[in-house]
Amino acid sequence: MTTVVIQEARARDTVDIFTQMPDAAAATAPSGESAEAALAFLAEMSPDLRGAAVLGPEGEVLAATGEEPERWGEDAAALLAAADAAEETPVEQVHIATEQGEVFAIRNGGLTAVAVTERFALASLMLFDMRSMLRELGKGSA
Amino acid sequence: MQKPHRILLDRVSAYADEAAAFMRRRRVARRPFARLYYAGGRSADHAQDSTAGAELFVVAGRLIEVAGSKKGAR
Repeated sequence: MTTVVIQEARARDTVDIFTQMPDAAAATAPSGESAEAALAFLAEMSPDLRGAAVLGPEGEVLAATGEEPERWGEDAAALLAAADAAEETPVEQVHIATEQGEVFAIRNGGLTAVAVTERFALASLMLFDMRSMLRELGKGSA
Repeated sequence: MQKPHRILLDRVSAYADEAAAFMRRRRVARRPFARLYYAGGRSADHAQDSTAGAELFVVAGRLIEVAGSKKGAR
């Protein structure tokens, strides 16, 4: 008897939960202002950060550090294209370490974040912060 | 009991070993790499001299140039 009640409650409440959840496809890109704020927060949290950009679902630059946002868009698109082509599979994260600095890119919920840091930045922390930023942005825009 | 000069020599050689190990670790850590992560937690490394790796390093170099050297230059 109790099991039946629990199952009924689960079915009823699960439907409620699902109806309250945002549809991923219906989510719109966050505003430039919120992306700028998220980027500023990322810069504050990451002492090794040199520059970063947030890209929308179509690859458009929502926010970027520096004076050349269009270059961030072009180069980030080229990076993701090269990464996807490496194994003919879409990548989730990219980490490239060179002697001049390190490059990180991450995709989450249709958004993309790209960041350049000093050499030997803590990769796991950087990627965690970038993923958190994209999740928060995604929540805000849903 | 060891003679004092032997203790000194042992200590110097221990410091030299430490320094050599530090340099070895540093050399390994400084080696450039390109690592891609896929859904499900799989990751793949691409050497700088491979076709895919070379392209990734070129684009990464361009992004580093765009970012500049100053933190958060807005």
